Amino acid sequence: MPFNIAQLEVLAEKTQLFLFIFSPEGEIIAFNKRCELLFPEGCDGIKGKNITDFVIDDDVQVFTDTISNLTVQQPKTNESFTFPSGKMGVLSLKFDFTLCDNLVYAAGIDTTEEYKEHRALITISKLTKTGAWYFNPKSKEMYWSQGCYFVKDLDPGTPMTRDLGASFYPEESRARVENYLDTLLRTKRPYEYTEKIITAKGVEKWVKVVAHPVIYKNEVVFVNGTIADITERYNYIEKLKYNEETKHLALKGIQSGLFDHIIPENEVYYSAEFKRMLGLPCNQNQVSEEVFRQMIHPEDVENAMQRHSENLNKPDNYYFNHYRLKDNSGEYRYYEVHGFRRKNENGKTIRMIGNLIDVHQRKVHEKTIEENKKRLQAMVNNGMDYVVLLNTKGEILMADEDSVKIIKRDFNVNPKESTCQFIDVIPINFKTTFAHFFNEAIKGKIVKEEIERVTPMGVNQWLEIKYIPIFDDQLKTDSVLITFHDITEEKLARIAIRDAHIKEQELSDLKSNILSNFSHEIRTPLNGIITISKLLLDDHSKEEKDQLKDYLQESQDRLLDTLDTLAGFSEIETIQKNLQYTKQDINYVVETSHRDHKHLAKAKGLDYFLDLDESSPEALIDEGLFKTAIDHIINNAIKYTNIGSVRVKISTQESKKNIYIYIIDTGIGIGKKFLNKIFDPFIQESIGLSRKYEGTGIGLSLSKRYIEILGGEINVKSKLNKGTEFTIIIPKCL
Amino acid sequence: MNILYVEDNKINAMVMDKMLSKHNSNVIIAENGSEALKLVREKNLDLILVDINLGLNQMDGCELLQRFKRLEILNNIPVFAVTAYAMPGDEQRFLRLGFDNYFSKPVNFEKLISAISTLAIN
Repeated sequence: MPFNIAQLEVLAEKTQLFLFIFSPEGEIIAFNKRCELLFPEGCDGIKGKNITDFVIDDDVQVFTDTISNLTVQQPKTNESFTFPSGKMGVLSLKFDFTLCDNLVYAAGIDTTEEYKEHRALITISKLTKTGAWYFNPKSKEMYWSQGCYFVKDLDPGTPMTRDLGASFYPEESRARVENYLDTLLRTKRPYEYTEKIITAKGVEKWVKVVAHPVIYKNEVVFVNGTIADITERYNYIEKLKYNEETKHLALKGIQSGLFDHIIPENEVYYSAEFKRMLGLPCNQNQVSEEVFRQMIHPEDVENAMQRHSENLNKPDNYYFNHYRLKDNSGEYRYYEVHGFRRKNENGKTIRMIGNLIDVHQRKVHEKTIEENKKRLQAMVNNGMDYVVLLNTKGEILMADEDSVKIIKRDFNVNPKESTCQFIDVIPINFKTTFAHFFNEAIKGKIVKEEIERVTPMGVNQWLEIKYIPIFDDQLKTDSVLITFHDITEEKLARIAIRDAHIKEQELSDLKSNILSNFSHEIRTPLNGIITISKLLLDDHSKEEKDQLKDYLQESQDRLLDTLDTLAGFSEIETIQKNLQYTKQDINYVVETSHRDHKHLAKAKGLDYFLDLDESSPEALIDEGLFKTAIDHIINNAIKYTNIGSVRVKISTQESKKNIYIYIIDTGIGIGKKFLNKIFDPFIQESIGLSRKYEGTGIGLSLSKRYIEILGGEINVKSKLNKGTEFTIIIPKCL
Repeated sequence: MNILYVEDNKINAMVMDKMLSKHNSNVIIAENGSEALKLVREKNLDLILVDINLGLNQMDGCELLQRFKRLEILNNIPVFAVTAYAMPGDEQRFLRLGFDNYFSKPVNFEKLISAISTLAIN
């Protein structure tokens, strides 16, 4: 039964309730005394105003809705309104509304304190996007706080059931989620999970759900729980996880482990990968520097430590080091460390992050390449006299050490260090042919040339140069190998063979010419002997007969003389085989020969001189051979001189090494035409054998050969009708 | 017959003279080429015999023959080589040079005289 206005005001004095009567539009018609607390001080004429003038803005619509929806059959309860301008400050009241006789009766209680707590909870719920829920397993009642509705983008008025709650989970996880709650009811243990939901608005969210059972007599009577929207955090963590995985895979990809050296604390943290690589215990985060140092290969420790300290003192922030480390299998592998240092505001290094990279495979390859290169270089150095490898531009890619030395010496360029055109570092006279042959090789032909040059030592050298194109996969020339092969020995051998062949031919010619000459020399006196013998058969006077006999004798003498000379013309080999070299006093040998011919010179009335050398020079000779040669020439000089003198002179003034023997006559001389031929037994029509001077040609050529066998030489100067000068030069014993 | 014999070896010249004299020939001796070239202008000759090797500093018989060939007065006078060069090939060599006949030393006089007789008949 509603109060009338009078009753209301009386009642107000006795109650803690706040009582109002409104018109259906919300106009204040009456209120009890206690309600005055809600209005500002000295505020008269409240009646007739609308209550919405006194509530916070949020509540205005709530009040309007409440009143307009109110019916007699459906009173409204527990509606909270906050009055901010009351005499006691802000008050929050909870009202029940009743419609009666077209008036709205409202009774409220002061819920300021509870409301504060309530607001706080709502605020937490809002700010943390968290809701609370409650489930009664007996009545199957499911209660959601507003926060729960917010998380699911659902209208807060929607009646909630367990099934409806579960419907927000995607199908694939729904059973799992429901099982959590069933399990809790069974086991009476709390649970929590993180799952994805799809909200009423179709938005994907990640939620974390926590549930606690409340137990009475070992039965779960209800379940308290929370649900939190952790989408942002989840995404953040997912992103973090993704980044971490990216880093992890990247490092794994380059076989690298990460470390983080906190320098002030001298603590080093290693990534899991790092520890796995080195076989360090995974549960141990830190490894002392000492332990780490022991893992470095003993040969590398010193250099590595030195580089380490140098790196830390460098002005820039980059760090680089390399060494071998014992890995988890106990073998040493090559690692490189690439790091970056972080400095504080004072420029002091406080942290260094680095990568330990396994470069073992690369190092092993590098080593193999280096070894192969060394082997190749050894082949290049020792296979040929010179070897140069050029690219198609003519630049030196590789060269043997000797070539490098020569190029460095002559052109002051090191082809190993700087790009160098081969054509710029070769002698000028080789450039043209080089350009030609190099171009031929580029076209894919193997070409060869021979060059003759004089070495810096002044020795003649023949080189065979080969240009060999080297092809790439497409069979295109990509480089040219040029080899230089010293063929001097072969060349000299070939020349020697040719010379020997010529000599053989000459020897054969010599033989037949000698034979021809001797035949002539024998036939000439024989003609006299035979013809005279025939003539003697005829009748002659005694005088005539005696003359014929004298001529016969002369012819016989000449024949014998020729035959004696013939004996001296044995084979050179035979002569050489029978030589006996002894040191001889040349003064003595020449003097003997001179004396042996004295009677011939005297018989012709010639002046006959001998000038000895004061030093008594000695020579290593075969005395017989040498004396025969001297005999022939002295004999010759006397034969061809009818008036004047023959002088024999020995001298060592001309040279330190040789002895000179001069045989100088004032005889008939030899004409220019014949001078070149007097030693030459080859020329058939050469030297006449006059009755007076017979046997000359062969004797001279014999003398020349003998002197040459003994390592000397013989020369001649002559003037027709003035005389001839023979010079014999023989090496002196020093 | 008047025969000029160019020969530097006196013994050989003498024996030639003696042998051919027996067969009604008159032998004139020249010791070298230049003497021979003088004599061919002076004498009325039927035949010339030439030794090849005429001694040191002297023109040889082959050169002398070439000189003879340039002389018109000797156009129809035969020139025989009489030489001690008698190795295989020598005869052909001298005949090729233009000698009308070749005789090696020691001289086969029967052959030489027979050749001279043939000349005389012609």
